Amino acid sequence: MDLVQQHTWGWFIAIYLYFGGLGGATIALGILGELRFNKGKWFGIGTALLGLAILSFGLIWLILDLINPLRFLLALWVKGIAHSWIARGMIIITGAYVFGVLYALAAFFEWTTFKKWMGYAAMFCGFGVTTYTGLLLNANVGIPFWHTPALPVLFTVSAFSTGCALLMWVLAGKNDHESEHFFHAVEGFDIFLISLELLILFAYFDFARLGNAAVMKSSHMLLTNPLFTIGFVVLGLIAPLILEAYASMKENSKGLAAFASALVLIGGFLLRYLIVWAGVFQYPHGLAG
Amino acid sequence: MARYGMVMNVKTCLGCKACMAACSQWNQTPFWAEDGGKWRTRVTELQEGKFPEVKREFFPTICMHCVNPPCHSVCPTGATYINKDGIVLIDYDLCLGCGYCIEACPYDARYEYEKDDLEKDEFYFGEDARHHQVHVDKCTFCVDRLAEGEEPSCAATCVGHARIFGDLDDPKSEVAQLVNSGKAKPLGEYMGAQPKVYYIK
Repeated sequence: MDLVQQHTWGWFIAIYLYFGGLGGATIALGILGELRFNKGKWFGIGTALLGLAILSFGLIWLILDLINPLRFLLALWVKGIAHSWIARGMIIITGAYVFGVLYALAAFFEWTTFKKWMGYAAMFCGFGVTTYTGLLLNANVGIPFWHTPALPVLFTVSAFSTGCALLMWVLAGKNDHESEHFFHAVEGFDIFLISLELLILFAYFDFARLGNAAVMKSSHMLLTNPLFTIGFVVLGLIAPLILEAYASMKENSKGLAAFASALVLIGGFLLRYLIVWAGVFQYPHGLAG
Repeated sequence: MARYGMVMNVKTCLGCKACMAACSQWNQTPFWAEDGGKWRTRVTELQEGKFPEVKREFFPTICMHCVNPPCHSVCPTGATYINKDGIVLIDYDLCLGCGYCIEACPYDARYEYEKDDLEKDEFYFGEDARHHQVHVDKCTFCVDRLAEGEEPSCAATCVGHARIFGDLDDPKSEVAQLVNSGKAKPLGEYMGAQPKVYYIK
């Protein structure tokens, strides 16, 4: 067995995976806030468009990663939709744009029923974007650390956690009753998500401990990298979990929660970058020159 | 319709790398690239065993032209396709250049044919240059030579008879006999790609 670290994908893909997940989660959570927490039409419109803007920013990096970025329009030629997660992702992303914009228009003109259906469709696509970022890596059979069903789950949970963090930032500046209510709902949801993320990570590394050679090498690379252990696990997960849990029990603690959110946002990026970095091919012996 | 495959006899590979030279000239692969070039086929030098029972082996590799190719599964635009003879090919006009197939291939068979490579291709081959746009590149079993009834350039040039090419569906062919007898086995079967390149070790 020859173990070789992958170098085809790097920063650009990590940035895309991060902003794709963050944008998708922001759309889903923002519209949920408007539809279910009576946050008002401007909140719905604002968060849906903010999510799409973040997603667009991420897509720029994906395009820049192409051998020839000018060929990006070919991505719309989704002939491989039956089996390729980039093709499926293009459909999901297009759906997020179409339904997100239609939702924003419906919210603006207050077409209530249409807004609701477009909102749910946009939420579904936003959710889809968060999950597909994990499935994208998952399809690489030669990299066993990615080729596990846990990865899409980890990326989805992490994306929603970063989405919650961003919404807490948006909501921290508002003092009306609905905003307070939704802020605490999002805060509670983020505490749940960070706890779940820690649990998935534990399961992931416990699997890796007993896994094959490439998986063990990937996990060893991560566990010996301070950017992962201290940067992501301690500062990006455990610290914000404690801070948010503490803030949720105190009055006037939005500042603390917003600080914890910043840590979550940085941690979310580190997770994607480091998972991409730690991809190790497991080639049959003799293949790697 | 055929089902083309290849048998690599590691025991008879001399390590002369004539296959690499022949392939790179016929297919104009970037032998000029940094860090030893980019190749559709490679011969890796291996040292096996421990002193004093140590030996050097030469290990030829190529695209495995899998029956269930992961590179085909992940290709978003359908640029990667399987032709009627079971050869995995790339339609350069449709290649987005996302590199997803390079990541998905568990046999390290693909590389990027970049802008610099196009310029060098034109520099070395002039009017005969065959690459005119950036794309992901890989072995084609020299599909253009097959159309003219010739073997792939690597097999045709091999002096040690280490590369045996033929139709796996033709029971009389040497390649089918080696595979059917169990002497030649594919690499990394556990990955489920079902390669059509087999090895005698």
